[in-house]
Amino acid sequence: MKHLNLAAVSLTAVLMAGTAVAQSYPEGDIDLVVPFDPGGSVDVTSRIIAETANTILEGAEINVVNRAGGGGVVGQTTVARADPDGYTVLAMTSSVVTNPQMKGAGYAVSDFRPVALYNLDPEVIAVPASSPFETAEEFLAAAEDETMNVVVAGIATSHHMSGLAIERATGLEFSYIPTKGFGAQVQAIAGGHADAALWPLGEAASQMGSGDIRILAIASEERSEDYPDVPTFEEAGIDIPIWATFRGWAVPKGTPDEVVADLSDLMQQVSETPAYVEKMEAAGYTPTFRDSDGFSFVVDNYAEQTSAIIEEAGLGQ
Amino acid sequence: MDMILLGFQTLADPMVALMLLVGVMAGMVVGSIPGINDNIAFAVFIPFSFSMPAETALALMVGVYCAAATGGAIPAIVLKVPGTASSLLTAEDGHAMARKGLAGRALSIAITSSVVGGILSSIVLLLFAPSLARVALEFGYVENFALAILGLSSVVGLLRGNIVKGVIAALIGLLVATIGFSPMTGAARFTFGNINLIEGIPFVPLLVGLFGIAAMLDLKADVMKTRDPDAGPESLPKIGSLRLPKGLMRRLTPVWGTSAAIGNVIGMLPGAGMLMAIFLAYDQAARRFRRKFEGQPGEETWGDGAPEGVAAPEAANNAVTASSMVPLLSLGIPGNSTSALFIGALALHGMVPGPLLFTQHGNVAWMIIVSFLFANLLLWPVAWVVLRTVSRSIFAIRKEAMVGVIAMLCLMGAYSDGANLFNMWVAIAAGVVAYVMRLASIPLGPAILGLVLGPQLESSLNNSLRISNGDWLIFFDAVNHPISAGMMVASALLWIVPAAMGLRDRARAAKAAAATKDNG
Repeated sequence: MKHLNLAAVSLTAVLMAGTAVAQSYPEGDIDLVVPFDPGGSVDVTSRIIAETANTILEGAEINVVNRAGGGGVVGQTTVARADPDGYTVLAMTSSVVTNPQMKGAGYAVSDFRPVALYNLDPEVIAVPASSPFETAEEFLAAAEDETMNVVVAGIATSHHMSGLAIERATGLEFSYIPTKGFGAQVQAIAGGHADAALWPLGEAASQMGSGDIRILAIASEERSEDYPDVPTFEEAGIDIPIWATFRGWAVPKGTPDEVVADLSDLMQQVSETPAYVEKMEAAGYTPTFRDSDGFSFVVDNYAEQTSAIIEEAGLGQ
Repeated sequence: MDMILLGFQTLADPMVALMLLVGVMAGMVVGSIPGINDNIAFAVFIPFSFSMPAETALALMVGVYCAAATGGAIPAIVLKVPGTASSLLTAEDGHAMARKGLAGRALSIAITSSVVGGILSSIVLLLFAPSLARVALEFGYVENFALAILGLSSVVGLLRGNIVKGVIAALIGLLVATIGFSPMTGAARFTFGNINLIEGIPFVPLLVGLFGIAAMLDLKADVMKTRDPDAGPESLPKIGSLRLPKGLMRRLTPVWGTSAAIGNVIGMLPGAGMLMAIFLAYDQAARRFRRKFEGQPGEETWGDGAPEGVAAPEAANNAVTASSMVPLLSLGIPGNSTSALFIGALALHGMVPGPLLFTQHGNVAWMIIVSFLFANLLLWPVAWVVLRTVSRSIFAIRKEAMVGVIAMLCLMGAYSDGANLFNMWVAIAAGVVAYVMRLASIPLGPAILGLVLGPQLESSLNNSLRISNGDWLIFFDAVNHPISAGMMVASALLWIVPAAMGLRDRARAAKAAAATKDNG
């Protein structure tokens, strides 16, 4: 009996120790800084994540904080300068990589430590349904004879850079039509006012049912499950294995390893919650998960791809 | 038809219907507070909406969106401080009427016009949403440029007297719009190394400053000028009777028709927005007024209490609300910045606006459409209640205190857009500039129009020329771009007709003078 009691006590002690370690972080609420206004894609996905994460976290909450301005630079700078204690997390997007070069942001990519990735959005080539080009090959062949008008979200955005990357890979030359806002871009393509657009798959997918647009190729390593008939860039003859914008979490550099691991685990748990997966997919985003190392690899790879292009095209400030 | 019934059914849920009512009330109050507008209200509300069912959240948003455009007229008329950007023009004639003891009538015209404009556009949305959405697709870069030119040309109707000052104001607006990175090269312009200016001057704080802070300075100057230590606090104009004479209703009916039509068309076109609609409607109403009423006995002059000057912009701005949902719901293309926030709200609830919305979430899509109709029906009773309770107690505050309250609300409103301290400085600077412009009697209207249309003008011009390989005649190509060619002709007429009529009048006057001389 005594033995049993002892065992029970020690078991309780172990359990309590376990909880004590788990509870050392987070002790308070975590600010998830979205460097854009409420309602955008980063805000929406961040809120879906926070909702699920808050059902997992005990005694702490993730608060989504919108710090908009300067095309994301204001909020990104805030996090870069925040205390590296794990209580300020940035909703990190591809623009963090290019903003220092393109917009003169005061931070460097190395000021952040990637925590976890939750969404990768590969680039697609989209054309109007009325377009004469049925396949990527036809489009590329025609682009050799005649300069194509290609709609992109803006000069020096990752979409413009994906166009420059295609130019590098194929030797073609495009004429870019910078159009702010996805709505206006859809209007240009669905209305047949330009030849093609470079879009993230997530947003293009929202228009696929309309019959107004067609996608010719997707810049990912494998074909998309949702669009098995659409070839990858490589299959279509464009030597770019992957070009994707990413969304994830990052913390200021210097944040302790354990905290990064805890946050990454939290994101993993979120990503395995069925309700979360359903919500993300309904909102048009394919949820995925990569831990800190996996995310760092994606960020470094993207930085490598873009910095060469920025330099070549003379886009830097 | 079944689907429309489904929309009614969804709205019939007591919780959803209640939220629509709450939204209309909240929108009316938010709209009537200078410095806070529907944009800011949504930004604050969207995070909360997360925990509500989609139907309730969206019903509330529809209510706020519709009513805010109406509520803005209340302080515009009573204080000459527009509550929202959409009531900018209402402040002129509306406040003039209020000073003449007709505040009640002005408010009544504003609300009735809003209801008429809103209902007409709700019906258009209800009956024609999917088919009209195709019209929006006809607008490419070339058409958008022509539309911006047409919008800018509407300033002619705004200019009383000094055309040069009006043009200067429009140019100031266009120049300020160039701040921020160039859409064509990605290079930063006039940002002085400040990252807050990369995307241009933040728009919401800028508007808050131009309307709220400037009006506050105006009010302050007014208070100081008339300060008399012995006198008690000066009271604001009494609201008085809200009844509209039948004759006035009849007289305003054509104005409502034209303005609602303008609002409907402009609302559907992405990028044009509410401000352009009110300017075009105001311009049309001004022309009609000058032709029919000005100079007749018992008539006011334009800008000094003409009822059309209140009716036109108010009918137009509410017509924009529902029609801006046409391209949003059926194509996923927002008609203006406020309706763009509906995309976020929908996405938060796992719905993507666009062609699939009606098939996948037909009940919610139709509920939104039906809500617009009901929100507009609720406007009058809610406005009546708000005027008799909230507004009455607000306007009982003495002017000196009001100045401080407005200033605080404006700064809060500016800050809450992005939670950025820089925005407060933007609002203050914009307010001072607008006040100085008023002292120099440079009209603010054309400057705002320039600010709003500048980015559209620049990128649509550049992109059009890129597509046409530098051929400027593309804008007048009646075969491939008939819409653009038509709008260009219309814009030219807006400038030429008044000039020609002025010349004719001058010639007539000269002839008449010559005739009297001969006789004499």
